[in-house]
Amino acid sequence: MELDTTSPLLHFAEDKLQIFALSFKALVYILKIRWILKFPAGKDRQAPGGSPDTSAQKGAIHSLFNIALPWEMASTRQHPFFYVQFVIFHIGVAASILMSLLIPYVPEWIAGRAAVVALQSIFAAAFLVGLVRMARRLTDPYIRGISTPDDYFSLALLVVWLGFSFLAAPNDRQSGEWPLLAYFFLTAFFLVYVPFSKISHYLFYPFARWYLGRTLGHRGVYPVKSGARA
Amino acid sequence: MSETRSYKAQKLVERLQVKVNRQIMLSLEACVHCGLCTDQCHYVLSNPGDVTYAPAYKADRIRKLFKAHIDWTGKTLPWWVGAKSVYTDQELEDLKDTVFGKCTNCRRCSLNCPMGVDMAVFNRMARGLLVHVGVMPEGVAVVAKDQWEIGNQMGVLKEDYLETLTWMEEELQSEYNDHSIRIPIDKMDADVVYSINPREAKYDPRTIAEAAAIFHFAGENWTMPSQGWDMTNFGLFNGDDELGGAVGGRLYDAVERLRGKKLVISECGHGFRSTRCEAPNWGKRDVAFPMESAVITMLGYIKQGRIQVDKSKNSEPVTYHDSCNNARSCGMTEEPRELLNLVCSDFREMHPNRAENFCCTGGGGAMSMTEYAPRRLKSARIKADQLKATGAKIVVTSCHNCVDGLFDLIKHYKLDMQVKLLVNLVASALVVPERPSRKMRPLEGYKILVIDDEPDIRVYLGKIFKDQGCLVTEAPDANQGMRAIKADRPDLVTLDLILPYMTGEKLYWELRKDQKTADLPVVIVSGYAAVDSPRIDFFGFLAEKRLPQPNGFLEKPVDPEKLIETVRAVLLEKA
Repeated sequence: MELDTTSPLLHFAEDKLQIFALSFKALVYILKIRWILKFPAGKDRQAPGGSPDTSAQKGAIHSLFNIALPWEMASTRQHPFFYVQFVIFHIGVAASILMSLLIPYVPEWIAGRAAVVALQSIFAAAFLVGLVRMARRLTDPYIRGISTPDDYFSLALLVVWLGFSFLAAPNDRQSGEWPLLAYFFLTAFFLVYVPFSKISHYLFYPFARWYLGRTLGHRGVYPVKSGARA
Repeated sequence: MSETRSYKAQKLVERLQVKVNRQIMLSLEACVHCGLCTDQCHYVLSNPGDVTYAPAYKADRIRKLFKAHIDWTGKTLPWWVGAKSVYTDQELEDLKDTVFGKCTNCRRCSLNCPMGVDMAVFNRMARGLLVHVGVMPEGVAVVAKDQWEIGNQMGVLKEDYLETLTWMEEELQSEYNDHSIRIPIDKMDADVVYSINPREAKYDPRTIAEAAAIFHFAGENWTMPSQGWDMTNFGLFNGDDELGGAVGGRLYDAVERLRGKKLVISECGHGFRSTRCEAPNWGKRDVAFPMESAVITMLGYIKQGRIQVDKSKNSEPVTYHDSCNNARSCGMTEEPRELLNLVCSDFREMHPNRAENFCCTGGGGAMSMTEYAPRRLKSARIKADQLKATGAKIVVTSCHNCVDGLFDLIKHYKLDMQVKLLVNLVASALVVPERPSRKMRPLEGYKILVIDDEPDIRVYLGKIFKDQGCLVTEAPDANQGMRAIKADRPDLVTLDLILPYMTGEKLYWELRKDQKTADLPVVIVSGYAAVDSPRIDFFGFLAEKRLPQPNGFLEKPVDPEKLIETVRAVLLEKA
């Protein structure tokens, strides 16, 4: 039987600290969802209109998955590189969150060389995208004009976190625990900070898109007619 | 240090808390400042480098307020998330400049936002907040006032409206040499109640005549209301839900009062959207009758063979401009194209089109905000480029606002183009069916009752009808007339208004009240009205007495041909 040489601090960081951070985040999210639902939802009293081959429900479902249909919107169609960045960056973030659960509880799932290389490739790509996005936010006058301290901080936090995700992916405790410690402490901070920052946009995403799709589906606008493609 | 807030700013902040609903709240929360909306806005594309036109930047002027007063983080750490309240009247003026002067609420950014942020909806809300405290462009204030007070957004008086309809009816009768073409006003139980944009009555009455011709040749049982006829709605532009609900409600009331079966809305993007899609929600009113755009009605007539068209009559190259409200808020994109392909021989698509089309730049009430005209025309460059690229000589749209916006930009950018509505093209492509020969006796066999206290008139009218093969009975007063109707119901009654014992007005009222005679065709033949404007006086009289419109009205002295045409039209319609 292999001797567990993990320090108590790392044990704490990868287990209890994560559970606390996740619980805190879940609690804040529950409160946030309650808050969202406190606002009265606008109704569509009018009869359905527009294209007869759609409906409020179809529109809502289409809208929810709109993000996976880059050809649907002129904004994503005209900026394919931006869309690719979006995909890479979000895959990186999702992979990092997943890794924070795998390392402490089922490390063998990502112990193989191939898994580590795959994870590190994702993190590296997402990290680079993060840097590109930061450069864009700092240099593009349109983006700079709408950026808040939270926008800069959230992006910087994710870039740094993805960097440490890259370093932590091998889960090599023998060569030193600091990459893992940094990764888990950053993950905990990330989890606690997220509900108060723009990173929590994914909580609003399904609601916002659902309601927009429902409204536009009811009016026969969604899904947008294919002839609309520029 | 706490800043004091001006009275207006305080009221605006209080109103904000009331007006934010779930959809607006989500749109205000969900933005990630990705900037993908930036180059989807015609203002940005026509004013490169000016950050203040970027949709997210404009949205943030409103989002700051929301964050400062409603959002958790914004209330705790305002500087961190860019939350900022308003304190001075100057800040309200700055907000006005953004929400009225830099956005037409065209919804193009909304449809291009990956997060589903519907900026047009909360920009409208912000307009409403400002209107609530009296901060708005002068033109917006004037138009909204007219719509509240006079009942239509161009302040068209009822007399002028009715006179215009009469004038158009006479023009049509003269153009087609057919006195049976009518613009029925306040006709009960019509299949179609037709509502228009006051711009038509004031500046472009030809569109009313064209629509009337189409209805006539389609054999439609239609009418126009004498009140509550304005289908435009400035509530959409100024963000005032109360105004929006009230204006829509007047139109719905008119249809219900006339027991109309369907409301047809003439070509107007914002009018169609407001009446069809928004006013039931603003006014919290469920509307039982169907509503459709005149585009769909006209298309239906052609497809059903009710009117014939010849597309070679419109041979010049034509392109189509999708109104934002029709395409992005009501899903009406295919019907206009289908119709155009039926009435034009050279239709060319504009790119981008449908829900991705660019705004005409005259939307969102922009045409009433003269202070922003230079900005509007500058931002119209992208639209001008789009138009030019089509090589078309005519740009067709289905919106009166777009007509004005496009006309302005065509003039400004010196494009060699005309602007037309679909109704113009359908009317010019109409193939007018041949009329029945006058040698026939079309009234043969019809039973007609002439009620008039003057024996000469009874004899005169009776002779005209008898010459047409009618079976004529006469009554010298209302009581005898009523008895004659009950004894042997005629096919039609001609009724004088001034009668002994019981007036013609009373008899008419009795007939309409009684279920058995409510649908009995009545043509009023009277010398009641003043000589210079008989129809106006007569319709004014009807409105004053709250009488339903008769099937026909003729002023004494009666022209025999007009009498026959009128009676024939009424009888054919009933048949």
